[in-house]
Amino acid sequence: MKTIRHRRSALVLLCALGITASAARAQSQEFPVSARTLKNGMKVLVQPDHSIPNVALYIFYRIGSRNEHPGTTGLSHFFEHMMFNGAKKYGPGDLDKVMEANGAANNAYTTQNVTVYQDWFPRSALPLIYDIEADRIRDLTFDPKKIASEREVVASERRLSVDNNNFGLLEEQLWATAFIAHTYQWPVVGWMSDIEHWTMDDLKHHFEMGYSPSNATMVVVGDVSPEEIFQLCEKFIEPIPSHAPPPPVTTIEPEQLGERRLVVHKPAELPLVMIGYHVSKTDDPDFYALNILRSVLFQGESSRMYQRLVDKDQIALDVSSSVDPAFDPTLAIITALQRQGVDPQACEKAIYEELERIKSAPVSDQELEKAKNSRLVEFYREMQTINGRANTIGTYEVFMGDYNKLFDAAKNYSAVTKEDVQRVAKKYFAANNRTVATLLPENQEKAKQ
Amino acid sequence: MTRERKILRLLAVLGFLLLICPPVPAQSLRLPPHEKFVLKNGLTVLLMEKRGVPLINVFALIKTGAAADPAGQEGLASVTAALLRKGTKTRTAQQFSADFDFMGGSFGADAGADFTNVSAEFLTKDLSRGLELFSDAVLHPTFPQAETDKVLTQSLDGVKAAKDEPQSVLGLYYDGYLYGAHPYGRPSDGDELSLKRIQRDAIVKFYETNYAPGNTILGIAGEFDAAEIRKKLEETLGAWPARTVTSASITAVPPAKGKRLLLIDKPDATQTYFAIGNIGTRVNDPDRVAIRVVNTIFGGRFTSELNEALRVESGYTYGARSFFDSRKAPGPFEISSFTKNETTAPAIDLALQVLEKLHKNGVTEEQITSAKSYIKGQFPPSIESSGQLARRIVMNEFYGLGDDEVNQLEARIDAVTPALAKQIIEKHFPLDNLVFVLIGNASAIGPAVKKYADKMDQRPISDPGFWPPSAGTPK
Repeated sequence: MKTIRHRRSALVLLCALGITASAARAQSQEFPVSARTLKNGMKVLVQPDHSIPNVALYIFYRIGSRNEHPGTTGLSHFFEHMMFNGAKKYGPGDLDKVMEANGAANNAYTTQNVTVYQDWFPRSALPLIYDIEADRIRDLTFDPKKIASEREVVASERRLSVDNNNFGLLEEQLWATAFIAHTYQWPVVGWMSDIEHWTMDDLKHHFEMGYSPSNATMVVVGDVSPEEIFQLCEKFIEPIPSHAPPPPVTTIEPEQLGERRLVVHKPAELPLVMIGYHVSKTDDPDFYALNILRSVLFQGESSRMYQRLVDKDQIALDVSSSVDPAFDPTLAIITALQRQGVDPQACEKAIYEELERIKSAPVSDQELEKAKNSRLVEFYREMQTINGRANTIGTYEVFMGDYNKLFDAAKNYSAVTKEDVQRVAKKYFAANNRTVATLLPENQEKAKQ
Repeated sequence: MTRERKILRLLAVLGFLLLICPPVPAQSLRLPPHEKFVLKNGLTVLLMEKRGVPLINVFALIKTGAAADPAGQEGLASVTAALLRKGTKTRTAQQFSADFDFMGGSFGADAGADFTNVSAEFLTKDLSRGLELFSDAVLHPTFPQAETDKVLTQSLDGVKAAKDEPQSVLGLYYDGYLYGAHPYGRPSDGDELSLKRIQRDAIVKFYETNYAPGNTILGIAGEFDAAEIRKKLEETLGAWPARTVTSASITAVPPAKGKRLLLIDKPDATQTYFAIGNIGTRVNDPDRVAIRVVNTIFGGRFTSELNEALRVESGYTYGARSFFDSRKAPGPFEISSFTKNETTAPAIDLALQVLEKLHKNGVTEEQITSAKSYIKGQFPPSIESSGQLARRIVMNEFYGLGDDEVNQLEARIDAVTPALAKQIIEKHFPLDNLVFVLIGNASAIGPAVKKYADKMDQRPISDPGFWPPSAGTPK
């Protein structure tokens, strides 16, 4: 679940985490990463690459909707919008205008776990970008008029991505049902009534809680040298004082002891089913085997689920799976967009049968190798661009605890065995561990009556 | 977030389309070197070696697209493309997928208005196998009946699924309402009725008529050895028999006169999605760079006048933009946004005011300078990956633009003056003649939006097709 500031680019976050061996090793030699932790605690990672005269700069803050509370859900995301609405030196509207006039573009996104700011710019804009980033981290201001209009913008975003989007709507309901204790239960964009009620104090509190430099990691990839970046950081970022990080999220979701089901009735053309299974957090040894398992099941037209549901049985238009990077145990979600007129339970049944099949007999050598090859190509694709690399390095650093794991992922993937794949299938994809969300078209039901 | 949601998500990316163009140091703004040659059978080949990662991207463009679909059989070009991988003389659909997926590679084929494209990506070490598979799909498809039926019914449900997301179909209604019976008005992926009319024979005929080496441009970029790849090409695509193809010409349509409005009723919509505009420009319009500069200011970036007014200042929407969808013949120009039911008329009023202001006040020198920097600064990442480069060189060739489209871009941007910008606004941005298309809750917004046009049409989103209503449409 991810909510972005404005849809400029469809950035795919977690492809980044699927890679392989020789690949990573080659990349580590070709593009060494330099790391430094500033005195205020912010970690900075730099990877020079002079193939184009541009730079991608990402700042990952370890704060997201999991740090929120009932009544102010969606605040992290709203705050992310406010980070573009004026600070001391660059007032309301100035940030975007000055950046674009200097050839730069920006965006940001918020997830359950992190809030990430992205700048893409020609190297000539380097000092300016640092001036702007320092200004808003240090001296963000809150203009009541901007809060009022931005509140409407976020409400519009919610209507677009949830109310008028069946996938968004159903996924929101799924999380709210699968989690009863942990804060992953509410939507990143927030409940509409909370969007309407945030106050200035809520925003100020959020800033104090989440925006300490020590709670952030900066990644810079492109036409730069590590020395010049560290110098800019010393000048602009290091003087910003650090303060306490967000209080830890201590709630642990209790084990799910039986299947949960929910139904959404809505005017729609096609029915939709989403099945969520509780899985481990990203930084867990099962991560690699789980990704290989998902590749075997869902990746490409030769995958088991595609072959079964889309090609053979012809009961789904599309079937896919997703697991977002997460600090805490999260969900693996299987989504099937069903064909019109198909019994809504047919897809569910076929999915369960395929899961049982993989639990009862090991995958073939060919399937295992195919999955590993797919991860390899994905990795190279990400490594082709400065943007892909900034995202990948940051994702490993933040979610795996160390960007160097990027260079180990290689051997971790190749070490996955058929038995591992079977083991994680059994461990996570169990009936008691699932939540099933179904969207039933209202018009279709009426037509049947 | 590995979300392999193939068909649907692709449709959903409207919002902010980044209008991209070149960087700041003059010398850096050049296409990497590449070579062009023509095989004996007439196939044009463009090769670009690019070191970095061991990947190869192939992009083939067949110079016939959805604009060549016979009226009533919209979707024919797209379905033909989708079926290339669904059975060849030596492989079933399943075998093809298994072979391609095993390399970790990807394969895609699709048709837009002007052309059909077939693309692939695979590792350098798989060059032989990758090219062999690619040419197998392009040269030897057999269009098995069972697979044809499958693709047709899936496409049909795909249209239905798209209608569940108003933003993904707004452009289809808009093009239909703007162009009427002209080929650019037809939905390239077909609709609920046209897909039912397409027979296998028509697909085979479309393939045999249009897929030929002389009607194709092939671009390959990535890490490879040019001599080796030439040899491999001779063995694979070089074996494609030459055939004469009469290339389709697309007639230009003059801009619409007056004002007309189409309201598509989606009773459960909490937000109205709207597009406003008229017929725009050709890809090779001599004014294209100046248009890009002006449109960047008007609706082509976050601080554009449209987004400033509708999002930043008023909070009416999450995003507002304008876009020239330039094609071989003049393509559509549209202003688009969305807002909650209650603010539908105020948001459209505001968009129209921004357009009027553009005509009345023009753009300032400061705005032009800013837009130039923005376009230059954001361009390099658009020619960074092998996939982007393969596509770029093929498109330049197809539209007759040449390398100068990139290599001279900076100079052309620099040549845009305030005086030229003024002419561009008058010539290319509509003002009095406008076509409006809205998707929303008709009973909530209908009365407020009548005022925009002399003529208003309305139909429910659940009616099959887009616009014009197909023959046999239930009333």
